[in-house]
Amino acid sequence: MNIPDSFLPPRIDRWPARLDLLQSASGLILGLFMWLHMLFVSSILLGNHAMWTVARFFEGYFFFGYPLPWLVSAFVALIFALFATHAWLALRKFPTHWRQHMAYMRHMRAMRHEDTFLWFVQVLTGFAMFFLAPVHLYLMMAHPELIGPYESADRVWSGRMWPLYLVLLFLVELHGGVGLYRLAVKWGDFKDAIAARRKLKRLKWGLTVFFLVLGLATLAAYVKIGMEHAPHVGERYQPAAFLLPSSKDFSDAGSGGGGLNPPQPPFDKGGSRRVEGMS
Amino acid sequence: MKIIHSDVLVIGGGLAGQRVALAAKRRGLEPSILSLVPAKRSHSVAAQGGMQASLANCFKGEGDNEDVHFEDTVRGSDWGCDQRVARMFAHVAPKAIRELAAWGVAWNRVRAGEHEAVINGQRVTLTEREDAHGLITARDFGGTRKWRTCYTSDGTGHAMLYTVSDRVIAEAIPVHERQEALALIHDGHRCHGAVVRDLITGELSAHLARATVIATGGYGRIWGISTNALINEGMGAALALETGVARLGNMEAVQFHPTAILPTGILVTEGCRGDGGVLRDVDGHRFMPDYEPEKKDLASRDVVSRRMAEHMRAGKGVKSPYGEHLWLDITQLGAAHIDRNLREVKDICRYFLGIDPAKDFIPVRPTQHYSMGGVRTDYRGESQWLSGLFSCGEAACWDMHGFNRLGGNSVAETVVAGMLVGEYVADFCQSRHGDQEISTALAREFVQREQRGLEKIIANPGHENAVDLRRRMEQIMTDKVGLFRNGPDLESAVAELAELLARSGEVGVNGGLDANPELVLAYRLPRMLKVALTVAMGALNRTESRGAHFREDYPARNDRDWLNRTLACWREGDALPRLDYEELDVLRMELPPGFRGYGAKNIIDHPDTAPRQAEVDEMRAAKLDRYAVQSYLMSFKHLLPLKYRGRNERLDEPLP
Amino acid sequence: MTASRTLTFHVFRHNPRDSGGEPGVREYQVEETPGMTLFIALTRIREEHDPGLSFDFVCRAGVCGSCAMLINGRPGLACRTLTSELPGTISLFPLPGFELIADLSVNTGKWMRAMSERLQAWVHLGSEVNPNQIEAAMDPDLAEAVYELDRCIECGCCVAACGTALMRPDFVGAVGMNKLARFRLDPRDDRSDAEYYQLIGDDSGIFGCMSLLGCQDVCPKELSLQTQIAFMRRAMARQGL
Ligand SMILES: Cc1cc2nc3c(=O)[nH]c(=O)nc-3n(C[C@H](O)[C@H](O)[C@H](O)COP(=O)(O)OP(=O)(O)OC[C@H]3O[C@@H](n4cnc5c(N)ncnc54)[C@H](O)[C@@H]3O)c2cc1C
Ligand code: HEM
Repeated sequence: MNIPDSFLPPRIDRWPARLDLLQSASGLILGLFMWLHMLFVSSILLGNHAMWTVARFFEGYFFFGYPLPWLVSAFVALIFALFATHAWLALRKFPTHWRQHMAYMRHMRAMRHEDTFLWFVQVLTGFAMFFLAPVHLYLMMAHPELIGPYESADRVWSGRMWPLYLVLLFLVELHGGVGLYRLAVKWGDFKDAIAARRKLKRLKWGLTVFFLVLGLATLAAYVKIGMEHAPHVGERYQPAAFLLPSSKDFSDAGSGGGGLNPPQPPFDKGGSRRVEGMS
Repeated sequence: MKIIHSDVLVIGGGLAGQRVALAAKRRGLEPSILSLVPAKRSHSVAAQGGMQASLANCFKGEGDNEDVHFEDTVRGSDWGCDQRVARMFAHVAPKAIRELAAWGVAWNRVRAGEHEAVINGQRVTLTEREDAHGLITARDFGGTRKWRTCYTSDGTGHAMLYTVSDRVIAEAIPVHERQEALALIHDGHRCHGAVVRDLITGELSAHLARATVIATGGYGRIWGISTNALINEGMGAALALETGVARLGNMEAVQFHPTAILPTGILVTEGCRGDGGVLRDVDGHRFMPDYEPEKKDLASRDVVSRRMAEHMRAGKGVKSPYGEHLWLDITQLGAAHIDRNLREVKDICRYFLGIDPAKDFIPVRPTQHYSMGGVRTDYRGESQWLSGLFSCGEAACWDMHGFNRLGGNSVAETVVAGMLVGEYVADFCQSRHGDQEISTALAREFVQREQRGLEKIIANPGHENAVDLRRRMEQIMTDKVGLFRNGPDLESAVAELAELLARSGEVGVNGGLDANPELVLAYRLPRMLKVALTVAMGALNRTESRGAHFREDYPARNDRDWLNRTLACWREGDALPRLDYEELDVLRMELPPGFRGYGAKNIIDHPDTAPRQAEVDEMRAAKLDRYAVQSYLMSFKHLLPLKYRGRNERLDEPLP
Repeated sequence: MTASRTLTFHVFRHNPRDSGGEPGVREYQVEETPGMTLFIALTRIREEHDPGLSFDFVCRAGVCGSCAMLINGRPGLACRTLTSELPGTISLFPLPGFELIADLSVNTGKWMRAMSERLQAWVHLGSEVNPNQIEAAMDPDLAEAVYELDRCIECGCCVAACGTALMRPDFVGAVGMNKLARFRLDPRDDRSDAEYYQLIGDDSGIFGCMSLLGCQDVCPKELSLQTQIAFMRRAMARQGL
């Protein structure tokens, strides 16, 4: 029969399901990534060298024998995309009208219900991250090579990023923790849902506190290093015990100084390739 | 004036009303339903224990069939019922339950193999057969010889009402919620619909229909303490009574349930005793076997209630700030059973008493529970005095319960009567009699009369307080028209109620004509008093004891003089209802009057009983097939709609 | 027993059809008695102080779902709430999310009927059965599981406890999702997941739920709403793959 398609009843619209999955998946990946991220960043607590090692690791240094900072850029770009997707999907849930906002506030105050309150926390923290997180993300994307004990510490302290990071720390940990808990109750198949939820809630708060403490300690460590390193701001970290590909290249290091992100030649494999810094 | 037309106006959104509407709809008519509350909140929702139907699936139900169910029902009624109707009922109940099973009620099912049960205080092991696995199971209930009460945990009424309501929604039948029928529109011969008040806006409208069905439930709330919902105020009975032509039947037949909790009268189901619970007194003694050695705690409800009252009179009650009570003990059933099969009971104990029934005894006492009486109809559900007026469910005196209803027979009645009366309503509508011929002038007249009535209440200076009058009425009914009755008390009850009725015209109200609870009470009060008066008068006149109607001054069941049905009619302008009586014909009974087997035999026989018994015995001795015997003794199939005449299949009785 | 308290009630009073009337709160004092429920207290208030006060009680035994209201801010069934479990000052408000009739009375029935119609919340039968024949067998555990979900009393507490529903009036609420979970579990309903998806596969349905779980925490029947919603979400999400 040649009835035009448009006269047929619409097939089921699969997109709401996909978007829901996407929102959860993006949240899940972001949430788990943020925890791992925290663990990586906190390597500073084990010493400068540990942190340096982790940073270089992600540049593929230990695979290729030389760092590929664009790997980090690419990864950050991916996270950025995920972040944007997640934020865009989450926007659908925001109270967009004043009436909705008021209804929610009134309800929240009357109910005094933890999970209802926590969702509002998620909205607030999510909203704030909307503005704050891109700053960090962009920096990392643009200057992946400037991730290192001194480099990061300088950024934190001399670059005055610490207030932003302090706020982001709380935003991310609260938001991510609540988000992952929510994911579990949203999709989870538990034998005893009530008991499971109680345990999840405890776990969630435990992890949030853990990561907040870890995050604060880490930030403090960077601040401390940053303060100590302030006179040499811009000077990059040079791992002493490391056999570097070209010590000659490195002798230039630290000559710039002054700016937040002084033009620094990153690691170079045999001088064959240089990545330009910001100038 | 707003006029709304439909083919069938169903007043009442409980099980009975909604099932009637479905039947009519399926016959191609346009029904509409009125309800005081959202239909799913009707009191049918509160039925806990179960629905009787002789499926004979479970081990203790094996051998059950319509005959046994019929006989239990007639005995339960103390021979006061219409046996043909009881027959129709017993025959259709299995069909009703199977239909509900198909529609979605999650009846509990037989689990093949061994399981534990508590019978007569003893743990026993029962073995269910393999081929019954997954079929609808049943529990024990009072006054039945087989386990016949099918259930969904202890939320049977809920499961049934939700399923039937969902079908009503599926079949797009309009339910006008929060709409109250105030008066029937009629011309003295033919009912044309009702004047309806919107309980939100207060607006009156005329609902006109070919057939009008009263399915408004019981009138328990004229007693102070009742297991009934607060909306069961007998407004359906009042609607019929106020026509001045339609009659109410057996209004004095009122059941008191043995186990309602203190102080609020919330019911805990008979399923508690059916599943093995027992009654205990102040000493923890299980007293029912002392009175009823055979049926013990599972004697018929009227009997257990009276025995409890007797026992309390003998000083064995437990004293409490809310009066005396006895204990219901279900601890031996175990927490697992209670969690699974008596969940509502557990909730009620937890929320209203703060106790755990798996560990503690439940304080109970007999409490008003069920109205056997109601709008008198023929077997088709139609009033014999007002054509086009039908009634079914607890509101009706179709009369399968006589003077005492068996537990589980009521929700069964609602759906069975719904199915049958629905067909007859459709037959009526599709016949010449069902033609609608009403002038809107008549409708206007009725609406205006009600409007004036309401305006008069609002304008009243208010010498009387409605709450006080109502409390007094409730007290009178509880004290003088309760479980035990006697002449002097009933006489004073009638006199006092009549006086209250006169005073109720003086009630004044603040506020307006719209959503105003004060106004609602003011206009319902005189109607309730009228219903109360028909109950009290019926009880006063009936100088015998039968079923739930117990006269201390006339303890014998007197078949010779009282094997009849009370009919009450209230002519306009009269101060009291007029009573007359409809004889029950012993010579046409399949089960002639006999001894129910409780207490000492105290019966004054009807002269026809012996000859009829001889006929019946002879027939039974012939050892014919049970269907043949039955049809010879009292044929009834021809009364049923064609579609419901077929035999019921059972595991042991395959269809021919 | 402790000395009896005098309870102070703050009760919402408003009749939306009364053109001049402003919503307000009235205060009443009631002597507490042993075993007093909010049903008893409100009845006393109506009988002794304010005969025009509107509220809905039907079964007064916690089974019909009529009397849900906000009790000190939380939705609950008033009839089975003992005053002894509440502080001396009790605030009572009508359930949000539903049309106000007057005072504490809201039109849950209308909402529920609309929800049922929209979700086609009834068993969709393949064909009518012959009621003379033995019923189709059903696994006993399955029957119990279906009843478990069937215990919803449509009181509206879950809707009033749901931030999503209050922000988005077209949201079906836990009551709706639980109903479809019930019918999906029921072998007598012959709908496929694609058909359920048509009914709730969007943001006013299952994907609109933000898992705030107010529903789970206030449901008077303690239904496993969290589990049912997650279950439906998984089933419906599979349709998107
Ligand atoms: C606590 C309790 C437990 C019970 N347990 C069982 C049991 O286990 N087994 C059993 O068989 N029976 C039981 N019963 C009895 C049984 O539940 C009822 O008899 C039966 O459900 C009545 O159904 P119905 O449809 O006739 O009336 P109802 O369900 O009472 O419905 C009456 C309807 O009429 C409407 N209505 C009333 N007046 C008006 C008016 N003026 N205008 C418009 N609408 C009006 C109401 O809104 C309501 O919708 C129990 C009863 C109680 C009280
Ligand atoms: C602009 C940034 C962000 C915004 C606006 C935002 C907003 C939101 C909102 C409103 C929700 C609730 C969604 C719902 O209830 O359905 C949510 C869920 C979630 N968010 Fe974010 N978020 C952002 C960034 C992040 C980040 C960086 C992480 C990682 C830590 C994260 C992890 C999660 C998780 C795991 C969930 C639960 C997902 C779900 O419920 O399906 N979010 N987000």
